[in-house]
Amino acid sequence: MSDWRILAAIAALGFVSYALRAGGFLAAGLMREDGVVARFFRLAPGNLFVAFVAAACFESSWPGVIGCIAAVVVMWLTHKEWAAFTAGFSAAALAAAILVR
Amino acid sequence: MPMTIMLDVAADSKPRFTRAAFWRGVLEALPFILSNGMAGMVMGVAYRSIGLGFIPSALFSVVVYSGTAQAVTLGMWAPVPPVIPMILACIATNARYLLIGAHLHQLFGKLRKRIMLPVLFLLADASWLMTTADAKRNGPDAGYLLGASVPMAIGWMGGTALGYGMPVSMDGPLAVAAALLPAVFVATLLPIQWHGRQSILPWGLSATVAVLVSWLVAPSWAMLVGGAIGTAASMARGDDV
Repeated sequence: MSDWRILAAIAALGFVSYALRAGGFLAAGLMREDGVVARFFRLAPGNLFVAFVAAACFESSWPGVIGCIAAVVVMWLTHKEWAAFTAGFSAAALAAAILVR
Repeated sequence: MPMTIMLDVAADSKPRFTRAAFWRGVLEALPFILSNGMAGMVMGVAYRSIGLGFIPSALFSVVVYSGTAQAVTLGMWAPVPPVIPMILACIATNARYLLIGAHLHQLFGKLRKRIMLPVLFLLADASWLMTTADAKRNGPDAGYLLGASVPMAIGWMGGTALGYGMPVSMDGPLAVAAALLPAVFVATLLPIQWHGRQSILPWGLSATVAVLVSWLVAPSWAMLVGGAIGTAASMARGDDV
């Protein structure tokens, strides 16, 4: 992929991110706290994240499964993202060294 | 994270934008330089491992400035990146900012848009939570929102650049682990999203459908379809968080 296409993709993602940040502020009057749309936005992230992790684990096999489990467990126990990243990365690397030829 | 839109400040509290609140926000958010810096470094390492250049990598963190959206889109990266699924994934993972923005309008809706719109560029989940708490104590002050956002942004953007430049050779098992960084990054968010037994069924559905879509259709659509099915199940059951 050429550089300008990569930059265009980043610009598009940046535009979407800022549009969401500013859009909620600008369109506040249109959204009810107890409305269906607001409830959907509250419920969606967890389901999306689980789907993403499950697909990634499926694609990467055991190193992915072990790395993600390690990250979740350490995050659960410590509430520290840096510790969870480190544990997940280390566990995935160790699993890859043992299981992947 | 669970979000409840509540207006807990006095109705007659007039929103302000003060220098004092800005510096108070900067000081209180200083630890985020380290924590966001660590996360940003992970992202920088991951960007280098897929062969992205330094400038596009740094731009990703400056322009998109969203850990979840960046991790998810990085996980979807391919020799020809699927731009439309990536944009949809970015919308899906960052849609919570619509709610956060709506809440901030309750606090700062009377301030001029030319003040608020630039500040919102650096809006993060943590700076919103800190601003909500500060507004209860000191009244709504957008200076605090900007001040709290700055160390978080410096940590994230600077961490990405540092991580990219780290003298780590990514091959063998380290390369496998580096390719898994987006999944590990998103996995760390799961405990925050867990809401006890009500999460079991929709999460099981999301994971199962995502694996099936990844296997039978295309990996780039797995998160969107799986997440949509799980969310639809939650909505149909009347769940809320």
